[in-house]
Amino acid sequence: MAYAYLFKYIIIGDTGVGKSCLLLQFTDKRFQPVHDLTIGVEFGARMITIDGKQIKLQIWDTAGQESFRSITRSYYRGAAGALLVYDITRRDTFNHLTTWLEDARQHSNSNMVIMLIGNKSDLESRREVKKEEGEAFAREHGLIFMETSAKTASNVEEAFINTAKEIYEKIQEGVFDINNEANGIKIGPQHAATNSTLSGSQGGQQAGGGCC
Amino acid sequence: MNFFRGVMGGQPSGPQPTGGETVQRLCDRVASSTLLEDRRDAVRALKALSKKYRLEVGTQAMAHLIHILQTDRSDSEILGYALDTLYNIICNEEEEEQDMLASPSIPVSGKRRNLPVPEDNAQKQEEDLGVLFTEKFLKDPESVMLLLTLLEEFDFHVRWPGVKLLTALLKNQCSQVQGVILVSPMGVSRLMDLLADSREVIRNDGLLLLQQLSKGNAAIQKIVAFENAFERLLDIITEEGSSDGGIVVEDCLLLLLNLLKNNSSNQNFFKEGSYIQRMKPWFEVGDDNSGWSAQKVTNLHLMLQLVRVMVSPGNSPGASSSCQKSMYQCGLLQQLCTILMATGVPADILTETINTVSEVIRGSQINQDYFASVNAPSNPPRPAIVVLLMSMVNERQPFVLRCAVLYCFQCFLYKNQKGQGEIVATLLPSTIDANSISAGQLLCGGLFSADSLSNWCAAVALAHALQDNLTQKEQLLRVQLATSLGKPPVSLLQQCTNILSQGSKVQTRVGLLMLLCTWINNCPIAVTHFLHNQENVPFLTGQISENLGEDERLVQGLCALLLGICIYYNDNSLENYTKEKLKQLIEKRIGKENFVEKLGFVAKHELYSRAAQKPQPTFPSPEQMLFDHEFTKLVKELEGVITKAVHKSSEEEKKEEEVKKTLEQHDSIVTQYKDLIRDQDAQIQELKQQVSTLSLNNEQMQAQITQQQSQIQQHKDQYNLLKLKLGKDPQGLSSQGDGAQVNGLNTEEMSQLREEVEELRRQQTLLNTQLSDKDTLINTLKSGAVVVQTVEAGTESSANRELLSELEVLMSRVQSQGSEISQLQAERQELIRRAEATASAAPPSSGSSADATEVSDLESRLAAQTAETERLKEECRGLREGCAGLEQQLASAQSTVAVEQTEKAKLQQEVQESKKEQDDLLMLLADQDQKILSLKQKLKDLGESIDEDEEDDLDSRDQFDEDEDEEEDNDD
Ligand SMILES: Nc1nc2c(ncn2[C@@H]2O[C@H](COP(=O)(O)OP(=O)(O)OP(=O)(O)O)[C@@H](O)[C@H]2O)c(=O)[nH]1
Ligand SMILES: [Mg+2]
Repeated sequence: MAYAYLFKYIIIGDTGVGKSCLLLQFTDKRFQPVHDLTIGVEFGARMITIDGKQIKLQIWDTAGQESFRSITRSYYRGAAGALLVYDITRRDTFNHLTTWLEDARQHSNSNMVIMLIGNKSDLESRREVKKEEGEAFAREHGLIFMETSAKTASNVEEAFINTAKEIYEKIQEGVFDINNEANGIKIGPQHAATNSTLSGSQGGQQAGGGCC
Repeated sequence: MNFFRGVMGGQPSGPQPTGGETVQRLCDRVASSTLLEDRRDAVRALKALSKKYRLEVGTQAMAHLIHILQTDRSDSEILGYALDTLYNIICNEEEEEQDMLASPSIPVSGKRRNLPVPEDNAQKQEEDLGVLFTEKFLKDPESVMLLLTLLEEFDFHVRWPGVKLLTALLKNQCSQVQGVILVSPMGVSRLMDLLADSREVIRNDGLLLLQQLSKGNAAIQKIVAFENAFERLLDIITEEGSSDGGIVVEDCLLLLLNLLKNNSSNQNFFKEGSYIQRMKPWFEVGDDNSGWSAQKVTNLHLMLQLVRVMVSPGNSPGASSSCQKSMYQCGLLQQLCTILMATGVPADILTETINTVSEVIRGSQINQDYFASVNAPSNPPRPAIVVLLMSMVNERQPFVLRCAVLYCFQCFLYKNQKGQGEIVATLLPSTIDANSISAGQLLCGGLFSADSLSNWCAAVALAHALQDNLTQKEQLLRVQLATSLGKPPVSLLQQCTNILSQGSKVQTRVGLLMLLCTWINNCPIAVTHFLHNQENVPFLTGQISENLGEDERLVQGLCALLLGICIYYNDNSLENYTKEKLKQLIEKRIGKENFVEKLGFVAKHELYSRAAQKPQPTFPSPEQMLFDHEFTKLVKELEGVITKAVHKSSEEEKKEEEVKKTLEQHDSIVTQYKDLIRDQDAQIQELKQQVSTLSLNNEQMQAQITQQQSQIQQHKDQYNLLKLKLGKDPQGLSSQGDGAQVNGLNTEEMSQLREEVEELRRQQTLLNTQLSDKDTLINTLKSGAVVVQTVEAGTESSANRELLSELEVLMSRVQSQGSEISQLQAERQELIRRAEATASAAPPSSGSSADATEVSDLESRLAAQTAETERLKEECRGLREGCAGLEQQLASAQSTVAVEQTEKAKLQQEVQESKKEQDDLLMLLADQDQKILSLKQKLKDLGESIDEDEEDDLDSRDQFDEDEDEEEDNDD
């Protein structure tokens, strides 16, 4: 229940790439074989542990359909992390990444961590986008990259957790302003008090980190 | 003001200009004036006229005002006037507007929105105008966008009227404005910033704006929630003093309700954000209750509603139950129960608290258990359930409160077998505690009291203690009631039917009939008990057949339902009232059609569908308290089957039975199949495992075989070497044959003897050579034999044995696999045969098609399994072939070994023989030596001198021979 940090995520990408399935697999460890078109956004949450700390992830799964684009844009600003998903069996979903990325960069805060995800890795026989292409795109745009399968759960945990790790590191580095909730980060209720004293000694902490 | 006067009253001589003309002149001024001040004055004047000449200003000035909003962005004053004017022409609520004008702060009255709106004509016209002008304003969506940007202006004179104008627009044309805001970038998010405004007026009006904005629009509700609305609103509520706070708290609560009602995504977010925990302190209302202001009552009411939204029976079961869990864990339920038992709580708050507790415990075992343990702080302490039931059967309590208690009791028993058992137990003879009032006593009291409402409530409450609980239905049959002194006790069931037949109020009879139907439904023993009373069936048939008035229709329908259950759940144990006899009775006394029509009265009743909607018992008036939600489910379930049962002839019934049986059989076959398949799955799994171990073994054996083959090759090589060496021996042996001769002893003989000695010496040399030759040969042979023996012992005896035993294991596994496979095949054949048999035997009823698909599903799975088995067999065959190959190889290896062994034996024998020969030769040699010596002696005796050298010569010759031998070896 009690958490050290709370991160807000959004999941974006073309319709049918498996965004809702990724969320469902992450929160409920289930797979949904039929496409249940998302209307607007749906909320999901789960607790994870990083570096021995409880971190609450609040995730907004957005609709990929063009008609919902204006609604889903409202969610960029307050998110600390974004999973940008394409479908490795549909090249068009990969081709649209640039548009998605532009949209995200334009509406989100500049520190938002973006994880590029090539989903449906279980469908190797129908693959249209090589893993190397995904890697190259991620490298070129400074994103983290991973291929996942919401069906077999392969790399699903990792995708969410690695994104959180990246955000966590950014916090340690002092990149994020954790007191501004608009960044999609919140300090846990009972940690808030201890953290204020911690922040006082943060200089010392950082010095310690620097010497290592 | 100068300008104003100039326009309005500056021309006293001419005719008074009409309002329209004035407005027109002002509009012209707004449009054409190049001076900001002129425009500002004109807009201010328009504002002043905007109420009196609403129509004129609205029709003529709107476009100009919007234009001002676009062009005069830098002057907040003119913007303020323009926005005010627009607000005046668009807003309908005269009163509210006046309120706001009178004092810029928010009114304190909690009743603001509760005032009934008078529906007179003037009002209607006003509203039409508002909608008309709103539409006009919305013609260009850009205007709304413009308004949104103006709201970012910090200046109070712009922001405040802007907020009010947008709120008014939303009130008049909600969905259209929502649509525009939704598509404008960050539209909703920007409006959320209003809640952070330090000026309370703006924050408070921002709340009203967000209320309108989020009305009925899930997408907006979600964005508002995403923008941390829950956090902000809960903070404001706390800051304002929670339930003791003013109307701002009320507005926050209303907005929260908007965001959460019927929005599962937001509810999930609310729960996951641990906001449920933050609701708990709201209900920490002290027992002193010094003041319950109207506002506090309103606030608490909304707070309770908020709790209910999270655990509403209409939510998905998973969502509700996790909220129920955290409400218990954070102590919110406990807090609510404290209010329940507190004194001085206003009745409507108490009622709503009971309803809330009901939904917090409904279907949640932990919460129900907790509720059962709550005691009222009375002396002696009484269970809360008992205290509540006392109110339910108390005529003096308010109707809504009694309904709430019934709801609470129902929710306590919902999916709570334990609770049901505890309630019924308080009625059983063995567990009755005479000293204290129990739930059972209260229910019985209510059931037979003179108050029909109590009768109904108690009957329904008792029915809920029996819902889906066969054990309790049977237990309740044991309950006996003491009647007037001297008379024998009567069973509860009997007493219910007695009262039924006494013709009490409709409400009472409906209640009792619902109780009886629930009781005997799905419980043949209870049916038998009911039928056992000779008066019951005639009473029911009488009720159903009579042609009674409108009022009695429901009772007739329920009687038909009760009789129907008696048929449907009849186990034919009473001779007079078998299924068949009851049906004949219906046909004779009532008529099938008539019976079915009467049965239909129940679900056709006007109050039925209302009760079917939701579990909470709510009735417009006490008289309309007739249907229970759970009971409507029962009716839905039974109406069809009873109609069928009554229409069916006994033959059909029999057939039906048969079909049912075959269906059951079918089911059991299907389950059998499933089991079989499961077994086969396991077997296949096992076989796969075996195959993999076998192939591993196979590999190992192959490796061993290659190893052995190389060893055999080595043997062969050694053997050839031996053969080669041995090949030379026979020659040596044959040349040895006639070496020794015996010489004479006379002088003449001397030379002869000498010659002979010479000859002997030569021969000896030769023999010596041969001997040493032999010796070396024997040595090599010996060492060779040892090698052969050790190698053979090492490989053949251990490795070969291992190989053999492994082969045996392999073989036996292959065999068992084979037998398993043939078993599987047989089973499969059997399955297919049965599947075909059942497929053809399956009755053409509705259920069979589902079964057929299941069977076909099974068949396809079988086919898959057959293929798998086939594959496994193939693999086994391959393995077997591999094994045969291995065996062959082994056999050939063995035969090679055997050949070698015989050859070795032969060799050894030869060695033995040559040894023996050698021994013989040695003996001969020794003899001859002896002879030579004796001859020498004779010669000496005869006076002949013998060269000493001769003996040395012999030795040196020996040595020479040995050297020669070595050279021979090297030549090999
Ligand atoms: N084989 C396979 N199918 C997947 C995988 N992930 C999703 N799917 C399927 O892809 C379809 C679409 O998945 P969704 O998660 O509903 O897609 P979405 O991205 O949420 O789509 P929108 O809500 O319209 O934006 C469904 O039929 C899923 O069963 C995966 O990893 N492997
Ligand atoms: Mg989706």
